This record gives sequence, C-alpha cells and structure tokens, in this order.
Amino acid sequence: MNDVFLPDLARLTDLCDETPDTRTFRLHFRDSSKGKGFRFLPGQFIELSVFGYGEAPFCIASSPTRPDALETTVRRTGQLTDALHKLGDGDEVGVRGPFGNGFDVAAAEGKDLLFIAGGIGLPPLRSLIWNVLDERSRFGRVTILYGARTPADLVYKRELEEWRTRSDVEFHVTVDSAQPGWTGPVGVVPTLFKKVELHPETSLAYVCGPPIMIKIVVQDLVAIGFKEEAIISTLERMMQCGIGKCNHCAIGHRYVCRDGPVFNYGQIKELVD
Amino acid sequence: MAFALEKKAVAGWLERLLKLGEVIAPTRSPTGDVLFSNIRSGSDVAWDLPNPLHPPKEFVLPQTDPLVQIKGNGQHHEVEAIHDSRRRFLVNARSCDVKGIAFLSRMHEMEPADASYLRRSNNLTIISVACPTPCPSGFCICTDSGPFLNDSYDAQLTDLGESYLVEVGSAKGEAAVAEGQGLFRRASDDEVSQRKRLEETAKRHFGDETCHFGAAMRRISTGRVPDALWEKMSDWCLECGGCNVICPTCYCFSVKDLARDGAWVRCRLRDSCQYAAFTLEASGHNPRPEKKDRMKRRFFHKVSAQYYTRDGAVGCVGCGRCVQVCLGATHMPAVVAAIRKGSWHE
Repeated sequence: MNDVFLPDLARLTDLCDETPDTRTFRLHFRDSSKGKGFRFLPGQFIELSVFGYGEAPFCIASSPTRPDALETTVRRTGQLTDALHKLGDGDEVGVRGPFGNGFDVAAAEGKDLLFIAGGIGLPPLRSLIWNVLDERSRFGRVTILYGARTPADLVYKRELEEWRTRSDVEFHVTVDSAQPGWTGPVGVVPTLFKKVELHPETSLAYVCGPPIMIKIVVQDLVAIGFKEEAIISTLERMMQCGIGKCNHCAIGHRYVCRDGPVFNYGQIKELVD
Repeated sequence: MAFALEKKAVAGWLERLLKLGEVIAPTRSPTGDVLFSNIRSGSDVAWDLPNPLHPPKEFVLPQTDPLVQIKGNGQHHEVEAIHDSRRRFLVNARSCDVKGIAFLSRMHEMEPADASYLRRSNNLTIISVACPTPCPSGFCICTDSGPFLNDSYDAQLTDLGESYLVEVGSAKGEAAVAEGQGLFRRASDDEVSQRKRLEETAKRHFGDETCHFGAAMRRISTGRVPDALWEKMSDWCLECGGCNVICPTCYCFSVKDLARDGAWVRCRLRDSCQYAAFTLEASGHNPRPEKKDRMKRRFFHKVSAQYYTRDGAVGCVGCGRCVQVCLGATHMPAVVAAIRKGSWHE
C-alpha cells in the first residue's frame, strides 16, 4: 500500500521563458531510478509541488520519446505558479504522477493528424506532436494550426519555426491581434481552416485551448465532417489529488483526473454535471 | 457468535481496552456539547448521551490530516510520509456512523488505495450500540444503516436492560471481546430472540414520512430535475458547508502545506463542494459558478444511480445531522421530497 500523497523530489533545470508570463521547466528526479521508471503517455499530467504552497496539476509538455527531458510549461496565474516562477535553476520541487489516461498513440497510427491549439493549450499537444514527429513514419499527414492572442503569447517559438520549415508537417499560425513586425495572418484559430486541406474520413483532430476556442473549433470540425470520436480534447479542472478521490474535478460520476483528461467529443457530450 | 455482557462489567472491559489503545466515546464537553473524544477510564462512557453532532469520521479522516513532513528549502528537501498507526476503540457509536465509516472505507480502498486512511481504519475497532428507538431527525431505515446493523460493525451491543447482547462481526471485534475474557458469557437463545424483537419494535417506531430515495434517484440520475427547482432550493442554501462538515459520508478534500515548527506539513483538509472556490481554477474559470450547480452536484454525488452503482449505497446514512444543522432546510429529506414532488415551498 503506497503513500499516495508522498511526492518524489525533482530538480528544476533549463528554465526557458516562452512568453512574459509563461515558462518551461525541465525536471530531473533526484533519485535517478525514479526518472528511469517514470513512464508516461502524451496527455498525462503530474501534480507538481512547490513546497510551502502545495501542489497543482500540470500537463507533461515533453514527449515520451525523449525521456531525459521531462518538461512542463506553466503560466504564472495564481499563488502556486507565482511561487514556481520564482524558483531558479537547481531548486527542488515535488512530483507525483503521471496521472490520467493520456492520448491513445497506437490508435493514431496510420491516420492523418490535425492538431489545433490556442495559447497555453499547446503544451499538452506538444507532447503528442513530438511523439508523432519522432516516430514520423508511423503516421499519415501532420497538420498543426496554432493561434494566440498576440505574437508575444506564442509559446515554443523556436519549435514553431522548426515545424514551419519541415517538409513533413503543414504548420499555420495566427494571432488575434498583430503587433509591429508580425507578418503572419491575423484572426482566430478557426480562420486557419481555409488554408488547409482537411480529410475528415482519415483524420483525428486534437483540440486544446481556452473553452470558447474549443467550442467553436469543435462546431467547425463537426460541420466539416469529423466524427465525434475523431475529435479529441483534453479537459481542465481543478485537480487536487490526481487519483479520483478529492472530487474537485468530478463531472457527473466521471473524474477528469482519472477517466480523463483526454476525452473525445462524443464522451465530452455525455459528461453531465 | 453472540455473547452477553453484564452492564456492571462493561467498565472493566473498557479498562482492559484502554491498556491497548485509545478509547473514544461520546462525552459531554465542559461547554455542554456532546462530542466523540478520548475517555480516561472505563466508567467515563455516558451511554445515554445523544449521538454527537460531529460524526466519528474524525478518527479515520481528520479535518486536518497530516500526510507528508517536508523539511529543507531551496535546493535540498526531505519528504517523509506521516503515519498514524494508533490503535483505537470507538465505543457507543450508533449504527448510522458505523455505516458512515464503512462507506468511507470503501472509497479509500478503491485503487489506488489510500494508505493514510486505511492505516487508521484498520487500527480502529468499532463497538456500536443498536438504537432501540429512532433519533428525532434520523431516517436510517431508508438508507439500510440502522436502527440495528446486520453487517459492517466489529461488535454490536444491544441493550437488554441489565446486560448487553454482544454480536461479533469481524476479527477486530473478536479480538476486542477476547480482551474481556471472563467478563463475557455465551448469549442464551432467549437473549438472541429478544434482540430480534427489539429490532422489529425499533423499526415500527419510524413514521411513514421519512426519506424516499427511489423517485429522487431516478430523476437525478437522468437529469430530469428541472433547473428551476434546483434554483429555488438553492436560494435557501446559505453556502455554510455545515452539511458537508457533519455528514458521515462526506470526504471531499483539498491538499495544503501548513507551516509547523519551521517546516511544512502537507495536509489533507476536508473541503465542501458547496463552496464556490471548490472548483475555481487559477485562471478564474469556475465550472460550477452558481449555487444551484453546486447543490445539484452534492445531490448527484449522494443520490444518483451512477454513484449508487459505483459505491453500492447512497451517500447518506440517514443520521439526520444535516436536518439539525441546515439553516435553510435544504437537507437530505427535504431535497429528496422536493424532487419527488417536483416542487419546493415558496
């Protein structure tokens, strides 16, 4: 019987500012055997402790194909994330997990994959995107559509550039409002649909972003002909325990932390609170 | 196996249990409140006190439950799980509370099992007393959790006048009775049938107007309770969270680090699903912003067929404590009745 609330200790390294309020942290378990044993799926999350402030759920933003670089990307939004942003290279945090179901990578094999992300919704998809790109031959066409409020709010700018220049990825990015120097498209994410050729019958669509963006994108995808089961998202809720006990993340009798956070649109429609 | 124990021998038995661990029973505090608390001597148990307003869940799931000791700072920390392995005997608990702890134990045994909870519950022996009459606001007969128990207890006492009939329901109960060697005798057939008659009499004391879950469960489970009804009912809820605090089956919690002696202790704190902040996210988004959303959640968790299927019981043991504490009278029997009738008083 495990002490389910006992975190493992991990050191923060390679802090990388993505935007003025968003930072990526790399995590190294102090006990290296924990690191080696830490197997996860894209879409799973960890409970990260900032000691003295408690713990909060964050998605794993790195790919399982790169096990030495466990990363999470966090926007400074509340007390705990503010405290996390004040920590420096080498400081210790606690980690529990991985939790949740994660994306079904095997089910995506051979399919065309459409990734649609808004703002800070990219990190959970980034885990799956790199998983797919690191095993590129297993999958069909890869299309990535990304949008943020302003150019400054785009995360992983270097990687966006890499995706833009890769010949085996179709990548489009847009912003809601341009700033001086921005030469790309301006408009919300769904405006990018007209730039790409979509193949609903052979595709899976992965959608993550603010609730309003998800709502509009899902409506569009359904109208385009995507089946409900082919539209996959990852839900956010306040999650305290990660193991389906504290009840914060319950929707009806389902638990986002344990039954999710990844659900297809058909399942999401059946979640009744 | 049933035994009999003369009332005058009970104190001696409890003295022996006190040598093995803590003995907890309802006691009257100096301010007049009745509380479950530690007794110091076997004769301290006041058997005729009413059931305390706070259920004994405190002894398996404390309001503040220390989980992890955290020392150090910056680049070096030490974390260690906190274990509470004290042996405890809970005496003079009522049937509803025994079922409440059984409910909590099922929740915490679910994978992944919660070691912190189970360490306490595995070391707790419950010696309950069957209720010969319903308590004023109780409706345990509707939730299969009283007035007498046929399972879930370690030992169940039935008051036979000069003596108690003692039924043993588990290995822990057997061990507790074994400690009273020489004090117990095998119960006679007459005493066993007397207990049966007392149970039948106790059941007959419940009125017709108790708490009929069936219709409410069907409507809650299928989303057929009109939003307007939730809104009307929730108008009366003051969001005090009292119903959660005193409910024997409520276990929702938050995890916080509390400062203690220059270090941190990560604690599980019991929380209330009726508070707006329960689901509030750091972004400001709240999936249950309205009082009616939260009330709906509470009753879905307690009464829906979805949870009934998972938990094997409604999340209510009919103790009637919510009836006593709810200032807006949006307690279990009132809400269940309103859903059944489809209307709430104006």
